[in-house]
Amino acid sequence: MKLQIIGLTKKFGSKTAVNDLNITLTNGVYGLLGANGAGKTTFMRLLCNIQTPTAGKILLNDRNIVALGEKYRNLLGYLPQHFGYYPDFSAYDFLLYVSALKGLDEKTARKKSKELLEAVDLSKEGKHKIKTFSGGMKRRLGIAQAMLNDPRILILDEPTAGLDPKERVRFRNLISAFSKERIVILSTHIVSDVEFIAEEIIMMKSGQIIHFGNPQEITSEINDKVWECTIPTAYAEKYAADYNTSNLRNINGNQTILRIIGERPPMENSVRVQPTLEDLYLFYFKEGVKNEKTNSF
Amino acid sequence: MKKLILFELRKVFSKRLSLIALVGIFLFSALISFSAYQNKYASDGMNAEGSGKAAVEIDKNIATKYEGLLTDKKVQQMMNDFAPTHDLHGLNAVYLYQNATQSAVFSRFSDKDGKWNGLSVSDVFGDEKIKIGYVDGWLSTSRNMVRVFVALVLAVIVMLVPIFSSEYEGVDNIILTSKYGKSKCATAKVTAGILIAILTTTMIAVFNLLLACAFYGTEGLDCSILFASSDYVEAFIPFNITCGTLLKYQIMLAFTSTLSVTGITLFLSAISKNQIVAFVATMTIVFFPVLLPITEVNPLFRLVGLLPIYHVLAVSLLSVEQMSNGMLYAIWAIPAAFIFLGIGTFFSRRMFAKHQVI
Repeated sequence: MKLQIIGLTKKFGSKTAVNDLNITLTNGVYGLLGANGAGKTTFMRLLCNIQTPTAGKILLNDRNIVALGEKYRNLLGYLPQHFGYYPDFSAYDFLLYVSALKGLDEKTARKKSKELLEAVDLSKEGKHKIKTFSGGMKRRLGIAQAMLNDPRILILDEPTAGLDPKERVRFRNLISAFSKERIVILSTHIVSDVEFIAEEIIMMKSGQIIHFGNPQEITSEINDKVWECTIPTAYAEKYAADYNTSNLRNINGNQTILRIIGERPPMENSVRVQPTLEDLYLFYFKEGVKNEKTNSF
Repeated sequence: MKKLILFELRKVFSKRLSLIALVGIFLFSALISFSAYQNKYASDGMNAEGSGKAAVEIDKNIATKYEGLLTDKKVQQMMNDFAPTHDLHGLNAVYLYQNATQSAVFSRFSDKDGKWNGLSVSDVFGDEKIKIGYVDGWLSTSRNMVRVFVALVLAVIVMLVPIFSSEYEGVDNIILTSKYGKSKCATAKVTAGILIAILTTTMIAVFNLLLACAFYGTEGLDCSILFASSDYVEAFIPFNITCGTLLKYQIMLAFTSTLSVTGITLFLSAISKNQIVAFVATMTIVFFPVLLPITEVNPLFRLVGLLPIYHVLAVSLLSVEQMSNGMLYAIWAIPAAFIFLGIGTFFSRRMFAKHQVI
């Protein structure tokens, strides 16, 4: 399966949310990273054909998804960033309703709904009204509905938002098991989720793709830009604010190790370290960094 | 498709406001019918007098006595039977009310002192054959149904407004990315809306007819509406139709009204991004025309009268014209309703399917 995005652009008035995207996606898990307003959600909505592009097109196996219509939607599963629900429906009834929308027959709908409630750990709450659910439970229900039709293209917008660590691990395992022979695109602010399950990373900024590749490839760009240095704890807060700091770790009570991203070593005692995806994310999206010079203690 | 329609019906009836509207319209019907029944008054001018059930019995007994075609002989007999026996203290006898039959004959054949005004049946009704009997119950029911059907329109709007507009509060994301989200789902919504309108109108019409039968019985359905008490003389339909025909027209107009309103509501629900906006817009479009200063004698009323609110107000539209085939002009409400419904359903489906999720 091949999803080609060609010259995809979406403008809202004078604001360009997605700007001339060109990318080809084949089977695999794609992590979509970007700060708020980078255009991730708009890109996903365009992929789902619930927004019309200002320019460009999306082709599935060389056929325009707009022309494919029902055939394309039959292959699609989508978890929106924010979604409504019917407060007086139970989780199970909601899944049956979405199953009907997805064209599943009665027997399959019941079977899949029960399986997915189990998979997202909601089987005990299946008969409860959705209005009694917490944010995390609603999120899990959203994940379940997206997978009802066994989609070949699964698009998940912030799937792990509001999930506790145990549920995030469960979700990652679910997606990993599900993703064979499918295109899975997920966006999140939780970089570690992407790091664990995504084979390819799409990094977006200002509506454009600034990086596309596997995590090792794209982090190699900042191979010589991540540093660790030890400073007195009393100065840690000030330095963390002045530099693009990805982590602070206190040692021995009065010493702190700072992990800093920058072109030059921030301290004389700085040691170069291996970059992570989170470092790369901060390298591109951290704002308000005041200092770039090398200091000493 | 059947499953989707059932889900749409369930969505509507799981909303508290819809249930309140539905229960409210039944309660209103019962209250208004009972109130009209209890307020009935009648006296036979001799020894029987009463209100409520007793009044209905008195009116029925008197009407039975003169049942059949209205003749000059019967008019004279009634004028004698109901001749005032005491001083009216200046009251014009035309407005005297003892019972429904007395009021009907006095309002047409009496002078101010309660004596025959010299008019014959043909002077008042032309060549029309006027069948008289107990019509007060059905005419009272007809008058109540005008109010009930106006309330019904309001209830239908309340129930149908969320059909599309509530989805824009977030579920549209999921619906429009599902296989049938842009096709069968929109059709199911429209079908559910039409079913709700038809079922609700049927239930309310049947309920009101049952109440009428329970309170007044079934007599008088084949009697003319023209020989009615003074309560119904002014601003009533000037054509010689029976009570049964009147009720048939009125119920038909209730259906045409709710179906027209369904078309309007679905359309506005599909184009409005929230339910309040859709509700206010629909209420304005449906109810605003009653404020227009156009009466039924104005030629423009032939068009304005086909707007859905005039269907349920019934009397004005039914008073426009009796056509050469005996049908009333109000029959044009049927094609009008199909136009409203057709436009509403076509565009609402289209707007929903083309809706851009923001």
